[in-house]
Amino acid sequence: MTIRELDLLQGTLDVLVLRALSMGPMHGYAVARFIRDGSDGSFKVLDGALYTSLHRMEERGWVESEWGSSDKKKRAKFYRLTAAGRRALRTEMQSWNDYVAAVARVMVAPVPEPG
Amino acid sequence: MKSSSPAWYRYLRFWRRDVPADIDAELRFHFDARIEELTARGLSAEAARAQATEEFGDVDTVKRGLREIDNRVARRHDRIEWLDGLRKDVVYAARSLRRTPAVSLTIIVTLALGLGVNAAMFSLLDVIFLRPPAGVAHPEQVRRMWSEQPMMDGRQFHSIYDYSSYAALVATIGTQADLAVYGYPDQRALSNDENPPMATVSGANDSFFDVLGVHPQLGRFFSREEDRIDSPKPVVVISDAFWHRHFGGDPEVIGKTLSMAGSVYGAPGLLRYTIIGVAPPRFSGVDLDAVDIWRPIASTLPTLGGVPWYRNPNINGLEILLRLRPGVRESELEQRATARLRGPDVGFRQDTLTVAAFGSIIAARGPGKLDSSVEVATRLAGVAIIVLIIACANVVNLLLARAVRRRREIAVRLALGVSRVRLVRLLVAESVLLAAIAAAAALLAAWWGGALLRTLLLPRVHWGEPAMAWRVLAFGLLAALVAGALTGLAPALQSLAPDLTDALKAGARSGGAHRSRLRSTLIVVQAALSVVLLVGAALFIESLDNVRSRDIGYAVDRLAFVQLRNESVDTVTRRVQSDRLLALEPRFASIPGVERVAYASMRPLGGISWEDYYPEARTSAGELPPGMNTAVTSDYFATSGTRILRGRGFTSNGHSDGSYEVIVNDAMARALWPGASALGKCIHFVRRDAPCAVVVGVAQTAMLEGLREDPSPHFYLPLEHMPFPNWGVGSVILRVDPARMSSVLATMHSLLRAEFPTVYSRSTTMEQSMEPLYRPWKLGATLFTLFGVLALLVAGIGVYSSVSYAVSQRTHEFGVRAALGATARDVIAHVLGSGLRTVLVGIAAGVVLALGAGRLVASLLYGVQPDDVRALLGAAGVLLAISVIAALAPAWRAARVDPVEALRTE
Repeated sequence: MTIRELDLLQGTLDVLVLRALSMGPMHGYAVARFIRDGSDGSFKVLDGALYTSLHRMEERGWVESEWGSSDKKKRAKFYRLTAAGRRALRTEMQSWNDYVAAVARVMVAPVPEPG
Repeated sequence: MKSSSPAWYRYLRFWRRDVPADIDAELRFHFDARIEELTARGLSAEAARAQATEEFGDVDTVKRGLREIDNRVARRHDRIEWLDGLRKDVVYAARSLRRTPAVSLTIIVTLALGLGVNAAMFSLLDVIFLRPPAGVAHPEQVRRMWSEQPMMDGRQFHSIYDYSSYAALVATIGTQADLAVYGYPDQRALSNDENPPMATVSGANDSFFDVLGVHPQLGRFFSREEDRIDSPKPVVVISDAFWHRHFGGDPEVIGKTLSMAGSVYGAPGLLRYTIIGVAPPRFSGVDLDAVDIWRPIASTLPTLGGVPWYRNPNINGLEILLRLRPGVRESELEQRATARLRGPDVGFRQDTLTVAAFGSIIAARGPGKLDSSVEVATRLAGVAIIVLIIACANVVNLLLARAVRRRREIAVRLALGVSRVRLVRLLVAESVLLAAIAAAAALLAAWWGGALLRTLLLPRVHWGEPAMAWRVLAFGLLAALVAGALTGLAPALQSLAPDLTDALKAGARSGGAHRSRLRSTLIVVQAALSVVLLVGAALFIESLDNVRSRDIGYAVDRLAFVQLRNESVDTVTRRVQSDRLLALEPRFASIPGVERVAYASMRPLGGISWEDYYPEARTSAGELPPGMNTAVTSDYFATSGTRILRGRGFTSNGHSDGSYEVIVNDAMARALWPGASALGKCIHFVRRDAPCAVVVGVAQTAMLEGLREDPSPHFYLPLEHMPFPNWGVGSVILRVDPARMSSVLATMHSLLRAEFPTVYSRSTTMEQSMEPLYRPWKLGATLFTLFGVLALLVAGIGVYSSVSYAVSQRTHEFGVRAALGATARDVIAHVLGSGLRTVLVGIAAGVVLALGAGRLVASLLYGVQPDDVRALLGAAGVLLAISVIAALAPAWRAARVDPVEALRTE
């Protein structure tokens, strides 16, 4: 599959954020950087959408936040996964893998001969 | 925010999360970090900012969205925290209450008593005064008809009518209001067996259900045809409750037959009715008595003397309801009704002074006088509130004492930073928890007590609604919350006052002068209110005693009255029956146990009959008293025990010139001929030119219509000379040996059954008739005493705990006194003195209060005034005695304080 600039759906963004946080607690900027770096710059995520995703997931109880200090000793809001968030990540990853496998199956299936 | 610092974090948070500021801070950090990264890569500051903004998206929209989300989250958190805080408060309160079980239990019991009696009284009064009859559509638009007419004690409003009045009203106001008529419910047997099932039966006309807006759930209601006043059909409508009780809710009940015994036609057989409909659930008529069966009104009323019931003004006992049509002015309608009822063809006799009034559908609210039991009940409601106040005062005292003992604990909390508001909340939570537990206990007690009150106060009512209703529960819980909050508030607020270091140093010892003032006031309040209740109890007990011991002019324990139930028989047959009854006298007299036999037109308390009369040679002026009279045989006075004071009894049966003898009672003699002898005076009954009735004797003023203090004037006429109408013998009067009363009555019944096979007989003893008359005073005495004892108990506990507490505070002092040589007696006297000082003030205040409040019960008393000295002294004495006893135990403890120990303790 060619990697293109993709407009990511909000749901997929959530999964990516969860994945990012599964590495450990980070502040919003760190999450943005993780996603940008992880896709080698291909995924252009609107930062505003990212923060909306973080706050919405906090409301759903998948992440929790806490004010702390960054490595530069600045005051930042840190997010981390809750148990529910971890469960959600597992589910989503499973779904994503199933989805990818299904698409791949269709893609590599032999093209029916005309006639 | 799952905080890592749970408990004390909440105490220290002084601010609510500032959502917009947080969001700004978070996004500012983001922008700063991104710009820093970009400038590190070589971009200029402005370019970096531009790129960062472009990468972000629409900042304002995003901020708005974030704010919405975060506000929702914040609200939810606050809610959870508040609930959590509440839960912790309750747990904490429960724990601290468990640490002082005795005090907690006392408080619970005290509050339960106060709340319980109030809930019980409320449930009773609610159903009598507040709740309109169930199942009626828009009951506030339905009215009852009342008229003011002369009654035994003056003109009064009553709601009893005959059919001609109803017909006249329909003709007059029937276009502006819908009217209906019904008969007050009555108990009927449903079979002729020994212990037949009984049902409450009421007659109703065809418009009854329409006026009330009631629709059948099965079948239908009476049609015009079925309720024809001259030929009613034997159909009935049954209530939902009766349908379930008697027929098990059988859906095929329509068309089934229902039997009813004791028909007014006198036949001993059973009348059969066909069920045509079932009333909707909960509807049971418009009175306190729940109706089971409705019959067409015409089928309940007899034809007498050839006059159909709807034209016979003597057939009354009907109640009239009306529903106003929209846009009708009520006062105008009342005036038209008044004018019509003053007409000549209405009622038993024309009354040009009558006034018609429309009352509420709730009968107890109508202009008519309340049943005296209900009047007692309303006073008792006030008493219940007084008991609650006493209970609350006591609880406040107990909580105050407890709060002072916890000064140290509270001071520590304040030092740790608990907000004052939070602390008050904690303390109030304790008292509310206590109140809630008390409320649960109280409602249980009220449920049982409410049913008990019903049977005590109004035993003849067959209640439709259950005693415990949702409103009562709500009322009880509300009262508990209010009581709990109020009683906890004062001690809580006081707890905040102390100087912290002072409390930490001095511990639990110092009581504080201003605090004891509040406590003293509470004791005074309790004592005063208790005195009021005790005075009430004493007054009612005295009234009851007076009532019982009054000479009412009868040998109460020896009299029995037997009647034939022949109201429906025509005049000729009645005359024949009457003569036969008179002829049976020797047989009655020979029944073992019977001492004497007499006859009367009606038995005492059996009704009233009055006549126009024209006395001669009157020496008094002013209006003539109503001509109440009873016709009796010559043996009447010896049989009943009514003494002849002057003159003699009846001897002759009348003279050739038509004149005959009459006996007046003392009250009538004094009303007509004060200062002169009534003997020999002449009275003309009914018409001025009627033959002379000569007064031959003056009898004692016996009780004839009811227990009232002012005597009622009365005539005794010979049986043969009853003026109007010709009823014949109404009742056989027997003077019986009390020990053989039941056997005599049984013999009488079988004798009468044999002689008059088609007629039922009915008997009552004088004692049975008197019982409902004594009931209001008996009730007042019982319940006031009960409440008074409760109040006394609570006040005694209050005094005990107060003195006990004071003693415990002054252990040190008593130790010093003992060390200085005070004897046990000195100490006891001192403690009693100081402890009882407040009680005495309370007693004095209570006496003053009782004198003031006496007006409220004055009308209910008998033979005693509200300012009766004996009652006041008695109440004061009892309270004083209880207080002394209550204070003795702590006083004794004070006397036994070991000086050495006392000086050593804090």
